[in-house]
Amino acid sequence: MAKITENTKDEVREIVYNFFSEECDVDLSEISDDTNVIRDIEGDSLMFLELIELFKKKYELHIELKSIGKYIVKHPAETIGELIDTTMLIIEFENGIVDL
Amino acid sequence: MSGKVVITGMNIISSLGLSLKENWDNLVAGKSGVKKISLFDPSHLQTQIAGQVSEKFEDYSLCYITKRMAKQMTRVSKMALVCAKDAVANSEIDFETFDKTRCAVILGVVSTSNSSVEVGTTAQNTIIKSMNNAMSAWISLEYKLLGPNYTVASACASSAYAIGLGFDLIKTGKADVVIVGGADSTINPEEIEGFNELYALSTENSNPEKASKPFSLNRDGFVIGEGAGILILESEESAKKRNAKIYAELVNYAITSEAYNIMAPMKDGEGIALTIESAIKNAGINKSEVDYINAHGTSTMLNDKYETLAIKRVFGEQAYKIPVSSTKSMIGHTVGAAGAIEAVVTVMTLNENTITPTINLDEPDPELDLDYVPNNARKQEVNCALSNSFAFGGHNATLVFKKYK
Repeated sequence: MAKITENTKDEVREIVYNFFSEECDVDLSEISDDTNVIRDIEGDSLMFLELIELFKKKYELHIELKSIGKYIVKHPAETIGELIDTTMLIIEFENGIVDL
Repeated sequence: MSGKVVITGMNIISSLGLSLKENWDNLVAGKSGVKKISLFDPSHLQTQIAGQVSEKFEDYSLCYITKRMAKQMTRVSKMALVCAKDAVANSEIDFETFDKTRCAVILGVVSTSNSSVEVGTTAQNTIIKSMNNAMSAWISLEYKLLGPNYTVASACASSAYAIGLGFDLIKTGKADVVIVGGADSTINPEEIEGFNELYALSTENSNPEKASKPFSLNRDGFVIGEGAGILILESEESAKKRNAKIYAELVNYAITSEAYNIMAPMKDGEGIALTIESAIKNAGINKSEVDYINAHGTSTMLNDKYETLAIKRVFGEQAYKIPVSSTKSMIGHTVGAAGAIEAVVTVMTLNENTITPTINLDEPDPELDLDYVPNNARKQEVNCALSNSFAFGGHNATLVFKKYK
């Protein structure tokens, strides 16, 4: 469980934006918090899993994918902004995310 | 549907090129695409040669496939999608003007070749890269096609089966357009070792271009190839409505099972003969109309002998007058893609009135005495042609094509 600071939020946002820009071959200026990953930039659902792996390493998170799966079923994340919010919760609560 | 099923687009990727024109020109020139394997170090293997697709393919594919997609696809799946995109371009179809629920994709797939040679496979992408339905799924996704979308597996006859099943979808009125074909590569150490254990592969490593020699006395097995072949099948009504160029008519086909042996063909080509007979009957043509056969022609002892016997059994004396040639003499055996690649070559033969040769036929087998179009292409009017595909497991297919009139 990592402590969330303003710096963490900025860092996560930057990583998420850069990740989708790179993977989807779109300019950073074309991405906003309202961008729908599948509909607007032809991303796919696996991308979030790749991002999670990235954050697990970066913040040394101890979280099982099934915990994220359970949370996502109840709280779908389709836009970049929603993915950032979910990522922040994962970093903050790790497996505890299922109880939210 | 009472109308015909026609071919309005097609393409090939093989060791002889990345485009239809490049492949056709090289096939007519009788060139060989077989070389020493460079995808990995084959020095520990009995067979060290193959008909490998140019290393330029990876760069070429990036013109068609996003970086993201590329990470989720094997090299062979990329071949399928790139080949399909060029075939669709060749057909000049605009799917936005079609009812997409009536547009389908059927591919013949043995595997996506997510082998030890594949680069970039990780735990995250291995399922997506490996799943056998991936190639047809990617094509369907590309054009957002909403009709049937699946793969069929019948080893070396897979993509010929796909073409037949696509024909049925149109003929029964369930689709207007079907993208059919296949892609494959078995150029990896595991499968080469496996085929070597079966004594199925040529080991003529010192002279790669001469290794695939169907119907010759000194043939010593097939040469592995890789690539893709795609055809756009369309109802005659749809093709006419959009003034499409029609390359040929797919008149009908036959698919049969030998139910004889998991590897060997039925003795004296009985099963092969039954398949050819059935295809001719289904097509409602006279045997005398057939003026070219694109043979399965693998360069193995049994296939070439039994295919020859089968052709004689079906056609009698006429067999000696029908040119029979093997595309595999030039590009090797592309396994799951072979039926589609050879179907494209057959359609091109009808269009160009040019029969591609069987190369490396320098020492004919006295037992095999048909006209195999040895070593040089031949200009000749061709109005009706068969394309044969036969597979381990006894899966046989014969496709019947005619000039469109």
